[in-house]
Amino acid sequence: MPTKLLNLKASQARWTILISYLIALALDTTALLGHSSPIIPPLTLFVLLYWCANFLDRTHLFSAFILGLFADTLYQTTLGSHALLFSTITFLMIRHRLRFKTYPVWQQAFFISLYMLIYQLLNYLFFSPVLNSNDFVQYWSMPAISILFWPVLTYALKKVSHTAASD
Amino acid sequence: MHFVIAFTLAIVLMAADHYGQLMGSFRSMLLTTITPIERVATLPKQLYQLATTDFSNIDALKLENQQLKTELLLVKAKQQQFLNLQLEVSRLESLLGTAGEINTQSLQIATVTFYSNNPLSQYLTLDKGQLKKVVEQQTVIDSKGIMGQIISTTPTSSRVLLITDPDHQIPIRIQRTGQRGILSGTGHDTTQLEFIPKNSMVEIGDLLESSGLGGVFPAGYPVAVITQIENKAGNPYLDITATPVADLSQSHKVLILSQATPYLNFDEKLTDSDNAN
Repeated sequence: MPTKLLNLKASQARWTILISYLIALALDTTALLGHSSPIIPPLTLFVLLYWCANFLDRTHLFSAFILGLFADTLYQTTLGSHALLFSTITFLMIRHRLRFKTYPVWQQAFFISLYMLIYQLLNYLFFSPVLNSNDFVQYWSMPAISILFWPVLTYALKKVSHTAASD
Repeated sequence: MHFVIAFTLAIVLMAADHYGQLMGSFRSMLLTTITPIERVATLPKQLYQLATTDFSNIDALKLENQQLKTELLLVKAKQQQFLNLQLEVSRLESLLGTAGEINTQSLQIATVTFYSNNPLSQYLTLDKGQLKKVVEQQTVIDSKGIMGQIISTTPTSSRVLLITDPDHQIPIRIQRTGQRGILSGTGHDTTQLEFIPKNSMVEIGDLLESSGLGGVFPAGYPVAVITQIENKAGNPYLDITATPVADLSQSHKVLILSQATPYLNFDEKLTDSDNAN
């Protein structure tokens, strides 16, 4: 990783971060369209965790709260519930991000899977979704599927970060 | 410190939204912000539809036109019968001296622009909002029955909570026996009829219609058909599953009912809405 990228501040890539959030929200919305499957992880939270782990000069809790409110609107849940979930997961990442950043991607993916398991657990406690047998398996498989999503997302966002750093 | 603030604020928001229903305008604002994202999300599907429509056969379009004309003729014939029945009911009511009144809802056609069908939430987004005088709690139907109710609006769109959503309940009565009950969504394209005692005369195939109790849904609209009845030991009530009669995931054009408005001619209103489109 170039030194320039390591020293990059969140304010320097403000527009990149904002656009990535909008794209992630649009992708989450597309995933929700029609007969959506609970196996697809929340990409907005993924992007949030990525920026949180890579831009250490900010807590990203404000972003987590706002994105959580958008998720509440999108999933038609009680206002503040996803905001609380996103803030909690982001807080866990903040506590651990210095070590997390030094891990190789596969190890990061493993930790992301743990975060997603916590997210699903809290989600289950908060919203008590009625799951049939098929949905039940898919719902609890989501953390495992996250392991596959993380390297792809990391690769894509790293490319974007490099571009932002070179500008 | 930031986390404590976010945590506290989230709890306050949740309490305000859940218990006080104070957050309607705030949710509406968030919904307005997210509407363009919803539009972008549906673009791939719209492009696919556009591409496939362009390749459709002109003969198929002619056939569809013919079918629609036939359907329109049948609907007009039924409407004539309905108007006669309406007059007859008014005459009978005046003879009996009762103050009954036939439902006089006006209709507004809307197009479905987005729909969610996951176990957490089942809703539709319509292309009519506050600018078209759409308000919360209006009933939305399709050609077969009740689909749900408007729960939030933005200037240009509105969101409909479907009757299959886990948070949705609608007071109904069984058309054949008149027995009342509450129909709750399950989150899986079906509904659950609750609090029906074991000694009730309920059969598979019974039609459930809105009872009008509670004042949100107008009475007499078809809602669901009973598809499964289970009698479990130790449970004082029957476990009844019902399938909605409306095409919740297939309807593209829907009708928004407005209550407490003067009676408007059905044809006239439809034409107005069509012109507006």
